[in-house]
Amino acid sequence: MAAKTVLPKRKPALTSGDLLVHFLLLTIGLVISMPIFVAMLTSFKIPTQVITFPPTLVPREWTTVNYIMAWQATPFGRYLLNSVVQSGLITLGQVIFSILAAYAFSVLQFPGRNALFYTVLGSLMVPFELVFIPNFQFISALGFSDTYAGLTLPFIASAFGVFMLRQFFLGVPVELHDAARIDGSGNWRYLWQILVPLSKGSIGAFAIFAFLNAWNQYLWPLIITKSVEMRTLQIGIRFFMTSQDRGADWGPVMAGSMIAMGPALVAFLLAQKQLVKGIALTGLKG
Amino acid sequence: MNQAVSTSISQPTPAQRAALARRRTLWRAIEGYLYLAPTLIGLAVFVFWPIVESFKLSLNRIAPFGNQQIFVGLGNYTRLLTSSDYWNSVRVTLLFVLGTVPTGIILSVLLAILLAYPLGKMASVHRTLIFVPVVISSAVAGVLFRWLYHPVVGYINYWLVSLGLFDSMGDAPNWLASTQWALFAVIVATTWRQLGFNVIIALAGVQNIDSSFYDAAKVDGANAWQRIRHVTLPLLSPTLFFLFIINVIYSFQAFGEIHILTAGGPGQATTTMVYSIFYDAFVGTPQRGIASAQAYMLALMVVFMSFVQFAGINRRVHYQ
Repeated sequence: MAAKTVLPKRKPALTSGDLLVHFLLLTIGLVISMPIFVAMLTSFKIPTQVITFPPTLVPREWTTVNYIMAWQATPFGRYLLNSVVQSGLITLGQVIFSILAAYAFSVLQFPGRNALFYTVLGSLMVPFELVFIPNFQFISALGFSDTYAGLTLPFIASAFGVFMLRQFFLGVPVELHDAARIDGSGNWRYLWQILVPLSKGSIGAFAIFAFLNAWNQYLWPLIITKSVEMRTLQIGIRFFMTSQDRGADWGPVMAGSMIAMGPALVAFLLAQKQLVKGIALTGLKG
Repeated sequence: MNQAVSTSISQPTPAQRAALARRRTLWRAIEGYLYLAPTLIGLAVFVFWPIVESFKLSLNRIAPFGNQQIFVGLGNYTRLLTSSDYWNSVRVTLLFVLGTVPTGIILSVLLAILLAYPLGKMASVHRTLIFVPVVISSAVAGVLFRWLYHPVVGYINYWLVSLGLFDSMGDAPNWLASTQWALFAVIVATTWRQLGFNVIIALAGVQNIDSSFYDAAKVDGANAWQRIRHVTLPLLSPTLFFLFIINVIYSFQAFGEIHILTAGGPGQATTTMVYSIFYDAFVGTPQRGIASAQAYMLALMVVFMSFVQFAGINRRVHYQ
């Protein structure tokens, strides 16, 4: 009875136009994300259901057998480790080195600063196809092919990161630096104890970018790894598919694909806002 | 006494002051370069130096027997220009760009306009479903579509038959093995993976448009379509321009899907310039000279597009 006296919050009524837009978006959204959904569902089907015709969407019986098969057929654990190490090292290097360079380009004053900044920016225009053959020869000559060093060294610096973090550092008021200087802290301390903690959000967003890009790399790990043990997940899943193709054993292949896209999907679901904002602001995928 | 000490500290001779200032400038420069060193060294070794090295490679050819480098001058370039394989890769690349870029832009703008609609709580659901390909790698996209296109167990032909477009699975094309359809199939997969990124950029562009423009259009009695046609699209022109350039650049460089879906085949139906570079440089007997020459030709196109982009951004395409 008492509830009656409390007026419910009025929701604006949905017009037929609203419903149409929702319907359209939901249909298109489902079509777009369909490849991911069917892959996920298929990865949990029993092998006989994967190849039944007509195909059915939902697993009749949920099973993790495909994951176990994939895990046993190829060293997926090793691929996972390699991907984590490779992406982790690249991210770490890009974040630290970009912080340092962005600091120099935004706060420090020294001769040649602008020329160097444009040089760094200019490197963004250089297509990877132009440099990957000499890089391959150089890394091989150093004896780094088929090693973590070979996988990571060419990507340890990021012009994109320098650009993104510099933009952010430029927005921090100069007074803060002056105050820190009066308190007697030098550049190094100001950077790490004040500027970096202040910029956690931007640095975090850049780190996610760097990680996703490294994680999803294909061409470089494909040519620089030789042994099965050094393959990253992206390369491993491709070779796993080729070996399974004739037998049409797609269940384990889809399980492998889920492992390969899992961390990226989780990062997307957890940090979608920052990721989208970063892409919209910079217009780059990293 | 005190007086003397303080003056000697606060007022050094001009010569001392100049020396001090010089030392400070020098230290500031050194400090700046130290902060930049890792990035600059990394870029110098792995971006700038290889540009030169790549050009040197493109002027040489490996002798058929042994590892002897033979200087051939621009020989690799003239060989390319007279090679039908090379022109095929240019043609395939242009078709690939034509297939991916306009579709991607039109779809993403349409979706952005729909997503900019006030959607309430459902907004995040719609966005997640539409943005999600942005985190999918080219390798995973390749593997997923290889399966979806499969002539026997793939969903795509099954759905096309269910929709009545083909009478039976046997009538539907074997997409990846058909000279006629393989490039189209690769274009669809690549457009799909690029779509999330494109919608994000397009949506940001649409949301940047000041609502007062729409209000003014409404006062003038413009209907929804007229508002899109005469307000959204013109004001979106900088975004459209940006999308166009960045998509052309990405499409010129697409590799993963092609490598996994068709490996350039059947025949050379999907051998793009990038695929051809990869193939010549790393498959079979490496021919890094001719591969580097191709890389230079491709880079010229990509860098040209980048310049157009910078020039366009400086000139501003929009009227706002």
